Amino acid sequence: MRHFTNKALAAFSIAAVFAASLVTASADTIKIGFNAPLTGFAAADGASARHGAELAVEQVNASGGINGDTLELVVYDDQASPTESVPISQKLIQNDGVVLGISGSYSGATRAAAGIYQENSVPYISAFAIHPDITRAGDYVFRTSFVGEVQGRAGAKLIGEMMGLKRVVIVTLNNDFGKSLEAGFREVAEQFGIEIVGQYEYGIRDRQFGPIVSSIKADNPDAIYASGYFFTAGPLVSQLRAGGVDAPVIGQEGYDSQKFIEIAGAASEGVIITTSLNRDSDATETRDFIAAFEARAGYPADMVAASGHTAVMVAATALRSAGGSDGAALRDAIAATNLAVSTGTISFNGLGEVQKDVQVQIVRDGNWHEHSVISDAELLAPPTE
Amino acid sequence: MLYLELFIQGLVQGSIYGLIALGLTLVYGLLRILHVAHAALFTLGGYIGVVVTNTTGSFPLAIVVAMVAVGLVGMAVYKLAYEPLLHRPPYIALIASIALFIASEEIFRIVFGPFGLSYIDPPLQGQIEIFAGFRLKYGEILVMGIAIVMLSALAWLSAKTRTGIAWRATVTDPEMAAAFGINIQNVRYLNFFIASALAAVAGVLVALLNNLVEPTMGSVPSYKALAIIVLGGLGSIRGTLVASLALGIIESFGTIYVGHLLDRDALAFAFLILILMVRPQGLLGGK
Repeated sequence: MRHFTNKALAAFSIAAVFAASLVTASADTIKIGFNAPLTGFAAADGASARHGAELAVEQVNASGGINGDTLELVVYDDQASPTESVPISQKLIQNDGVVLGISGSYSGATRAAAGIYQENSVPYISAFAIHPDITRAGDYVFRTSFVGEVQGRAGAKLIGEMMGLKRVVIVTLNNDFGKSLEAGFREVAEQFGIEIVGQYEYGIRDRQFGPIVSSIKADNPDAIYASGYFFTAGPLVSQLRAGGVDAPVIGQEGYDSQKFIEIAGAASEGVIITTSLNRDSDATETRDFIAAFEARAGYPADMVAASGHTAVMVAATALRSAGGSDGAALRDAIAATNLAVSTGTISFNGLGEVQKDVQVQIVRDGNWHEHSVISDAELLAPPTE
Repeated sequence: MLYLELFIQGLVQGSIYGLIALGLTLVYGLLRILHVAHAALFTLGGYIGVVVTNTTGSFPLAIVVAMVAVGLVGMAVYKLAYEPLLHRPPYIALIASIALFIASEEIFRIVFGPFGLSYIDPPLQGQIEIFAGFRLKYGEILVMGIAIVMLSALAWLSAKTRTGIAWRATVTDPEMAAAFGINIQNVRYLNFFIASALAAVAGVLVALLNNLVEPTMGSVPSYKALAIIVLGGLGSIRGTLVASLALGIIESFGTIYVGHLLDRDALAFAFLILILMVRPQGLLGGK
């Protein structure tokens, strides 16, 4: 008898705790998961993405939350590695009970996590990872930034048509980021009259480009299309200029950080990139974000920060319109997004890829400024399958 | 002309490898420890160089401060991490060294921030025309110059001074050296001081060439310097220098001519495997 009572008591208390946790979870807090590289080689981008995402959560909660409920960001460090991001996404879904996940990480980690979210029918938004396969994981996966190929095509139009430069050297970072940019660039280069007169590759750990600079000098190109992140592009551009190469350098969103200008110094003047964040935008959302970010983080906003902020804003808006429900209803609400945010107006195609204009920025007097905007819907069409 | 430029770029890179790998060889020669954390001292040197230059405006002072400070940290690493493990199998010290290296990357990130640091006003940015159409940056000349000066000083120290003789005696036969009244402890301290100071110079110079120091800047030297000392014949100082320069030059040409097949790091290890197949004892290692 005593034995029975104990068992019943145990069962009852487990049920009570479980029920209590359900009640507290649904009554006042809605959790969204966030994986980003907070340690390791990509920690700088992880820090910016996290600041951007946390800023968005604060802003959402300050303006009434999700129909009265508080939004909570559950953050884990994925070191930009798939071996970390997979268990993290399982933990977020099963233990933390998130209704949605956001990747503030690179392609490798994001691709691996996307499959887990899809299997569990939990929506997942990639803030700035660019590999095309991410959204192919299924209909629960979305991306609020450009795939690499789209940005590569924009780069070719910028150099060949808008700047009228034809003899181009390509310098490619040999990871999925650089490779997909190069693929997009090559796809349409001929269309814009571009002749590729030299091509080089480097690894993500490379910071010394002496041999490449020497060889580019011999190529004597009109322009250099170089992919990289601020921590590779900064040294590359400074070494190109120090080595006497004066041809314009055209980069992409990986350069998009004040830190690039700090590293390359005077050599950064005139460098042009394709990206998502327009520092000189008149749009209220962008202006407000840039001011609020610098106040919170203590350094100027960058593309990664704006992308983290954008992904949370898209998620919060969908949560509001889905009335707090999760799964398929939330997925459909995200798919129907039409939202003006810091990185432009976000809407998705059938694959969950964003359709928006490409911002072209140039370094002038030690800051990023507007160069132009590319809004060629056909050229910038994201993949649909 | 391009070949000459690539050759010089190879020598610049090789000089840096030489400064880093030499310290590793010194430690291995004396204690038979693979000192992976050496690369963390290289990073520390870079950080100190940038911070001192930015606060005082003096680059030469930064080099001296980095060498002395990192030299002392190197001695502390020996005292605290390696000395308690000397009577254990060498792989225990290797594990400790790897742990120290990994922890150091995160410590740099926490102390100096994830974004890395740059010289506010980078020194030595000009170039000099050696002959018509061929220019070298001051920074590159400095790298080669410092490598030659440091290595000559080291050669002089080990060949011509009492300290150097004591040092070589300890490397050859520690017990015999102790029996002749050499203080082995002091030799080890000196060894770590010199090795770490060399890594620090390399860190300051790399920071100058890239205008960037970051928490993970030691990750490439951590394994490439190991490859170099194996290539040179473990413990051989001359072999280490030859291997460093050879690797620098091979990487320089390889980046341009086979870079689309193998990146710089892959090239280095392909070269290592090739050499070890032909000469398992390394380039200049004796059997």
